[in-house]
Amino acid sequence: MHLIDEDTALVDAALKGSAHAWEKLVRRYEDRIYNQGLRLTGSRSDAMDLMQEVFLGVYRNLHRFRGDAKFSSWIFRIAHNKAIDMKRRKRLMPFVSQSGDHEGDLLDNFPGHSSLEAEEVFSEYENNKAILSILSQLPMHQRLIVELKIFQSQTFEDIASIQEVSVNTVKTRFYSALKKLKTILEEKNVLS
Amino acid sequence: MSCPRTQHLLKEYFSDELSMITKEKIEAHVAACEYCRAELSDILGAKKVLEGWQQQKVPHWDRGSELFRREYGKTDQHLTFWEKIRWQLMPTTASLLMLLLFLFNIQLSSDQDGFTVSFGPSAVSTFYLENELQILDEMQAAELEGAIRELEVRQDSQNMELLQAVIYQNQQDTLTSLERIYNLFEEQRLRDLEDMRIGYQQLMDSDYETLRSLRQLAQFVSYQEQGF
Repeated sequence: MHLIDEDTALVDAALKGSAHAWEKLVRRYEDRIYNQGLRLTGSRSDAMDLMQEVFLGVYRNLHRFRGDAKFSSWIFRIAHNKAIDMKRRKRLMPFVSQSGDHEGDLLDNFPGHSSLEAEEVFSEYENNKAILSILSQLPMHQRLIVELKIFQSQTFEDIASIQEVSVNTVKTRFYSALKKLKTILEEKNVLS
Repeated sequence: MSCPRTQHLLKEYFSDELSMITKEKIEAHVAACEYCRAELSDILGAKKVLEGWQQQKVPHWDRGSELFRREYGKTDQHLTFWEKIRWQLMPTTASLLMLLLFLFNIQLSSDQDGFTVSFGPSAVSTFYLENELQILDEMQAAELEGAIRELEVRQDSQNMELLQAVIYQNQQDTLTSLERIYNLFEEQRLRDLEDMRIGYQQLMDSDYETLRSLRQLAQFVSYQEQGF
């Protein structure tokens, strides 16, 4: 069965009350949503909170899901909106000043968590730590677009639908985000 | 140094459904424009850095199952009776089927006309089986006879080949023997000729000696006669 059809079948079964179908549906997306949370918040606890909020949102709105759209686009729309809500509530990943130690600031500034926890969370993932340090310097709207395009492989059309803007605006934002990333990496001497 | 087309072209570069013509145009420009090429290379490098993210596993959580069960009450309430007992029914049905097969001695056989399902021991089947057995015997006998005939033909053919090989070998041996005898005779003849030549020479030498002795004797006699 095609993955999209399987999603739809699982949603149908979950709507009929199958806990098994619900768990299977969650398992299919939890890793992606959790990692999205990590990239957007930089904290395991916040990522867990965000993921739980997303799946709660999915659960509450499951009956509204229409099979004509992809389930992945639908869940990423929910995740996108939840991340914005959380950002508003907690002022997620405040931008780091251009001077000083970016990485240290970033790890210290994850809301409600000491740098020690962040170090523990990412100590096994050096790449991830560096990527978070880079992402933290992007404005939220660019970070979200990078998340959807690069990490979730969504099309510009899907992103435009999620962000409720035109495709052209999405393209412009994505290009601007890449330019900004390029500048950040040049400052860090990653790109020569 | 900058290019007025960079933003527009590179913005389109990442489009999902870029037409072949547009793609070729962008690539042609990027190949020709040093600034756009460098810019594209840099942003692709930045993208690649992000793509190095290592996926992390979700810590254990209940996946909202508790909430789900609480909201829906007992999950199985929403299932129909048959859906609820579906899995329990399968082994029961299988056992029942096996019991039926055993009790009614159900037989399933296939022949040229198709499948036949019969219940219990069948009298008809004895005659049918005997007939089938006889046909099978005849077929086996015919096959055996054919095989023997084929074996004999093959055996004859092999014997002929063997005989021909023996004759050929004998001929070869005979030729070799005759040649050897001829060579022996030839050698003997040459040796005899040589012996004859040597004998003749000895005879000649002997005759010469005799003649000389006779000549000496004649001279001696002549001398004696002159003396007396």
